Amino acid sequence: MDDSPILVVKALEAGVADEDIDILKGVDLAIRPGEIHAVMGPNGSGKSTLAKVIAGHPEYEVTGGSVGLRGEDLLEMEPDERAQAGVFMAFQYPVEIPGVSIANFLRTALQSRLEDGEELDLFDFQELLMERMELLDMDVAFAQRPVNDGFSGGEKKRNEILQMAVLKPALAVMDETDSGLDIDALQVVARGVNTLRDEDPEMSVLLITHYQRILNHIVPDRVHVMVDGRIVESGGPEVALELEAQGYEEYRKAHAA
Amino acid sequence: MTQTAVMREDVRRAIGRTAVLEEGAADPGWLNARREEAWDIYEATPLPSTRSEEWRYTDVARLLPLDELEPAAGGPARVAALPEGLRRAMAQDRESAGRIVDVDGRVVSVELDEALAAQGVVLSSLREAARAGMPEVESLLATEAVPASDGKFAALNAALWSDGVFLYVPRGVRVDRTIRLSRWISRPGTATFTRILIVAEELSRLSFVDEILSPDFSSATLVNTAVELFSRGGAQVQYVSLQRMGEGGVYLANQRTLAERDSTLDTLNVALGGSVGRVDLNARLLGPGANSDMLGLYFGDSNQHFDFNTSQDHVAPNAHSDLLYKGALDGAARGIFRGIIRVHDGAQGTDAYQTNRNLILSDEAISTSLPNLEIEADDVRCSHGATVGQLDAEALFYLMSRGLRREQAERLVVLGFLGEVLSKLPLGGVVEKVTQAIEAKLRYV
Repeated sequence: MDDSPILVVKALEAGVADEDIDILKGVDLAIRPGEIHAVMGPNGSGKSTLAKVIAGHPEYEVTGGSVGLRGEDLLEMEPDERAQAGVFMAFQYPVEIPGVSIANFLRTALQSRLEDGEELDLFDFQELLMERMELLDMDVAFAQRPVNDGFSGGEKKRNEILQMAVLKPALAVMDETDSGLDIDALQVVARGVNTLRDEDPEMSVLLITHYQRILNHIVPDRVHVMVDGRIVESGGPEVALELEAQGYEEYRKAHAA
Repeated sequence: MTQTAVMREDVRRAIGRTAVLEEGAADPGWLNARREEAWDIYEATPLPSTRSEEWRYTDVARLLPLDELEPAAGGPARVAALPEGLRRAMAQDRESAGRIVDVDGRVVSVELDEALAAQGVVLSSLREAARAGMPEVESLLATEAVPASDGKFAALNAALWSDGVFLYVPRGVRVDRTIRLSRWISRPGTATFTRILIVAEELSRLSFVDEILSPDFSSATLVNTAVELFSRGGAQVQYVSLQRMGEGGVYLANQRTLAERDSTLDTLNVALGGSVGRVDLNARLLGPGANSDMLGLYFGDSNQHFDFNTSQDHVAPNAHSDLLYKGALDGAARGIFRGIIRVHDGAQGTDAYQTNRNLILSDEAISTSLPNLEIEADDVRCSHGATVGQLDAEALFYLMSRGLRREQAERLVVLGFLGEVLSKLPLGGVVEKVTQAIEAKLRYV
């Protein structure tokens, strides 16, 4: 098995485009195939920015460092090219797309992965979608609803997981997928991620979270603590437990500029 | 008009009293009298100017050289074979209960399911129905719904209409499949005047799709339509207008819906083609329990100009109307929506809603939205709202983050935005046809 990292983040600096404020101030991170990394941190630490920069959100501007995906320069790619290359970000706030059904959206997303002139087989797609929904224990009628339109918080997150299950990314970035979820919804999301990983042990996960809670359900290989745009501590799952006991205050004090 | 003016216009068959007389040659007396009266009103009525509130954004004098147009329908219909564009559009339709084909303002064919005809359903050229002495034509044509007194173009149409459709569905008869009118305009620089008169008797049901097509024209070409829809007690009527003309097409329509007690009279206006489209739609809720859903969808690009002027007249108490018009505007297109809900004195228990939403796809496109309320009763539920927005960057990013290219993402957002309207009136074949037409336009975006 190739053990070289799928994702390498080096000295990454980034901020909001058009604003002269650095949010990420030199982040280093390497994730190997099949690994689950959790990045934890207080509000405003930059952890969500890291997720969005990896996905290519136009609101953020990279001012230094690099992000490589299997040796390719991710920062040179458009968001759609990153997705094609295997990156998937589960949004913290999934966007409503009125009038576009989940099925139609996913069909277009899969079609976009084909060569020009190649047509997605609709029967195969239908079969895949049904199979994925069954895997996640979802009602088939769900796929006919307009994307996130009028969804509850839990439904939006389930929709993210369904998309992930259909698109089968090499690297799943989960941007605070757990925030705002009750324990039942959290378990559904965790079960989805675990099921997909059982299916594809090579799938890597970057889990951005504020709370330790989700790590009881999705067990990380590595936990990083981010404070003020830098990773200040990395270790095994025990780091999350320490954090839970102490809170972020200790880190904040220790790393106050 | 002076005698010399009449003579001069006569020479080139221009729009004038001679054309009125020519139209009426073989028609019954009452109709000729109505045409003459309408022409008098036309002459006495000034062309709408941008100084009037209702025409402020549509300068007809500039957009339409009325004096240079020639009435399209001269003499009887002569059509050897249907034009390719028309046949293509017709081939897309699903099965119908009946179909009328109209070329350059003349009906060239009428088909109606025999079982329906046996039940008393009438689908006919309006001209022939008038000549055949259909009592509803004499009593309802240009009288209650779109009389000549309604305005300059209503008068012009009442004077000069060449043909159109008469559809009559007797009490209790349910026409489950759609009845279609397929219209084709072939000659540039002409003016076509068409009328549609539909009467749905008590507890009957029908749906009607009116599709207007033409090739691209190098000069302004007018299609003027007067649509008169009557739904009697408990009847259910759906009328869809699909305006898919080519460049140069100027589409002016006066639509009136008269909904009686417990009846449903829904409309959908789709504007995709032509250079100028102006629809005046007035929905009248005349009996308690009457209901009108009013849907509109427009997608303009290049220099297209769409203007919708709607009114919801709640005359009777306890009636319901719900308007949703959505438009996407690209290039240097212009969209105007002006709507008013009028709750008349005594129309208690009215439920009336009005929503206009616009999606702007370019820097040069302009959208103007003017919703309005006029309420003279106190126990009513009314709301109106308008939005003008641009493509949401967050939505595009969301879609692109799943692998969609930017143009695929834009297409999906626009189709979804406009598709909401279609999903509310899923008539056989209309959704697919309109979706395809929108997609074809999006390829140029």
